Amino acid sequence: MLSATVLERIAIAIASTLSAILIGLVIVAVAGYNPVQFVNQLVVGSFGSERAIVRTLRYSTLFILTGVAVAVAFRAGVFNIGVQGQFIMGGFATVVSIVGIAPLLPENAVGGTILIAIGTLAAIVAGGLYAALPGVLKAYGGANEIITTIMLNFIAIGFVGWLVAGRFNDPEATATRTRQLPEYVELPSPIVSDPNFSLVGLLVMLATVAAVAVIMARTSFGYDMVTSGYQQSAAGYAGVDPKRMIVSTMTFSGVVAGLAGAVFVIMIQGYYTDPSGVGNYGFDAIAVSLLAANNPVGVVPAGLLFGGLESAGSHIQINSDVPVQLIDGIVGLVVLFVAVPELFRMIAKRTGLGGENR
Amino acid sequence: MTASQTTPAVRLEGITKRFGDVVANDSVDFTLEQGSIHALLGENGSGKTTLMSILYGLYDQNEGSISVDGHEQTFDSPRDAMEAGVGMIHQHFQLVPSMTVLQNVILGHEPVDNGLINDGAARGRIEDICSRYEFDVDQYLDTRVEELDLGAQQRVEIVKSLYRGADVLILDEPTAVLTPQEVERLMDVMADLREDGQSLIFISHKLDEALEIADQITVLRDGEAIGTVDTAETTEQDLAQMMVGREVLFDRLERESSTGDPVLEVDGLCMRGDRDRRQVDDIDLTLRSGEILGIAGVQGNGQSELVEGITGLRSVEEGTIRLAGDDITGMNRRRRIENGIAYIPEDRQSEGLVQDYSLVRNALLGNQTIAPYANGQILDWDEVSDHAAEIVEEYDVQPPNPDATAGSLSGGNQQKFIVGREIGHDPDVLVASHPTRGVDIGSVEFIHNRLIELREEGLGILVVSSKLEEIRKLSDRIAVMYEGEFIDVVDPDAVTEEDLGLLMAGHEPTNEPPQQSDPQPDGGGSRD
Repeated sequence: MLSATVLERIAIAIASTLSAILIGLVIVAVAGYNPVQFVNQLVVGSFGSERAIVRTLRYSTLFILTGVAVAVAFRAGVFNIGVQGQFIMGGFATVVSIVGIAPLLPENAVGGTILIAIGTLAAIVAGGLYAALPGVLKAYGGANEIITTIMLNFIAIGFVGWLVAGRFNDPEATATRTRQLPEYVELPSPIVSDPNFSLVGLLVMLATVAAVAVIMARTSFGYDMVTSGYQQSAAGYAGVDPKRMIVSTMTFSGVVAGLAGAVFVIMIQGYYTDPSGVGNYGFDAIAVSLLAANNPVGVVPAGLLFGGLESAGSHIQINSDVPVQLIDGIVGLVVLFVAVPELFRMIAKRTGLGGENR
Repeated sequence: MTASQTTPAVRLEGITKRFGDVVANDSVDFTLEQGSIHALLGENGSGKTTLMSILYGLYDQNEGSISVDGHEQTFDSPRDAMEAGVGMIHQHFQLVPSMTVLQNVILGHEPVDNGLINDGAARGRIEDICSRYEFDVDQYLDTRVEELDLGAQQRVEIVKSLYRGADVLILDEPTAVLTPQEVERLMDVMADLREDGQSLIFISHKLDEALEIADQITVLRDGEAIGTVDTAETTEQDLAQMMVGREVLFDRLERESSTGDPVLEVDGLCMRGDRDRRQVDDIDLTLRSGEILGIAGVQGNGQSELVEGITGLRSVEEGTIRLAGDDITGMNRRRRIENGIAYIPEDRQSEGLVQDYSLVRNALLGNQTIAPYANGQILDWDEVSDHAAEIVEEYDVQPPNPDATAGSLSGGNQQKFIVGREIGHDPDVLVASHPTRGVDIGSVEFIHNRLIELREEGLGILVVSSKLEEIRKLSDRIAVMYEGEFIDVVDPDAVTEEDLGLLMAGHEPTNEPPQQSDPQPDGGGSRD
């Protein structure tokens, strides 16, 4: 399956998604709910109204950005499971830098734009550095990146949580959170007016996808990276320094994850809370990327699917008595059907375990 | 020990094994006498491990038969082979590192009482085996395998096979991972096993070890059994010739001896190999433009490390390397490619080509920072595509389809593609490591002729090969490498086969043919 053609990949992804939904419907029926109504709710909740569509696009933007972050690393054969942590560090850096610098700048649209640029830059740097760390540990210390990146997720959650509750806590807020971004720090919102979504955010996401796709396909750096993922020994023969490649790949992946964090803060949240409650975008991104066969362009439809399911979930939660856990269950089934086997195949190929290459 | 009247322990007749188009074993006959040690000698890729994997039930042969103790057998899996008393100690040990020695030995054959493992019974049997062969394995039965050194792990593997009732043991390159002291110890163990009536097959490419321990030696080359000799009646020199081929079918190619300026100069080069052994020991070498310098030698004498040092794939311990006068010793691989060192790697499957890439994508491998394929960081796929099409046409790559994946091509066509790619960007030096290994005859001719043409065009070419005929056909000078040193540099027109054989076995040709008992230890280098 690692060498399946593009068409086979697409067929596999669609078939497994459909199977997951079908099995989900059986479970819905067994649980005593009406599956036809449930399908109806799924569609209405994800695409049935302008609000639903906007909500789907909002979730999708984040799934796609974090999915691309994962795809970059996986294509290069580096298992960055730490996108969630890099996403958190990036988003938090955005809040801290904008809130910290805002008093120095005029309180108008110009100041807002500059702050957005600074906040985004801070997120990119924070995400990149936070990913470079396990990259360095792997390249120069031999530490398994799967383990270190998972651990660093917990450290990010704990560290940011501590700062949100302490040093950066907003004393005037009732909940535990940081101060809010000034209201003039917001993305312009043409056509669609929604407090938590902006077409500019969507465009940033699409531009990122395009940029990553071009880097992977049309630059020497991208060729080095992808070749390292396919065949490490051939990459070395072709002049790639494997250690530096690992660090560069992780940094690149973390930069995209950090950017996702910035979009989350600027477009949606506006402040930072305890990071255990910001959503699992960085984890679901692994499934998104695998569903897309780690192709940055393929991440777009895969991210839309996850965004749609998430969106339908919040609709169903409010408008029906079907428990939202069923939606989570269906997402889980999709992961189980495509993502997990693919992940293990990749790890097996990489580590020489699993026997296929013996 | 000369048990020709008794039934042989193992008899393989007419074993043929094909992988796709590649013939790994070509009707090989092999007989292991009871209570003897039989060495299976050959270069990498000569088919030794394939043959033994067939005997051990890992592969099915396409033709031929296997008998063990006179009974014809078909083994569908190693379990069948084990039941018939055949055990194999793989080069990479099949032990679970986090489990104890005892657990590893009994794994899959646990003695059970009422559903519970009876440790005591297992201990008893293992202690019996150990005391019989003076093994120390019983002293650390409760130690985890990962805490043992490699020599001890190997003894655990042997005990494991014996515990399962093996009386035929296959040892696949058992000395490759061992220190010299551990090798000695292994030799003692093998001798003890033989004394006790076990029959052993010892796979190796090291002549001296085969001569030291084996009763008989069978040499494989290109999948064929070249011959079987009694150890008492052979010499290192004979064996070296059997391994690398003695039939000189090729004429030396006509050439003008007009060599130019030095393009590559190596001075006092010392390098360490994977196991931290000194593999290249104070090598000096000068390659001129318009010259082919051949490096001959039995595999494992430091040729691979030397090549990796020159091409920038392995760091150098001491010494300098100069390219057209400039010191490149500290230069990384990529800059060396850009500066004109082309490299046809020894392992085309894993290094020279990305198997899942199309030929077009492979045409960029190594060239991804070189104009016209790259402008700065930006790749020009049209140029790469044209380049791939040119290689395919000029080098007659079959099938002539640049979009085919590299993995779908035969070895010969893969190699032609690599040759075409590597000289495509006008290098000054070409390092060709085993350029025709596993390549069909037609492609061999083609590649040879192309190398000679490039020499005429003024390229400096370093050819490493273990095929004597190839080295003699191509080279202007031949350097013979033995234990990390150039033991001599000879004129291919003047040297005889016999002298080359002697040199490759580490002896000066002026000496008396050596007695096999003392193969000049420490001829240079391995002093740790």
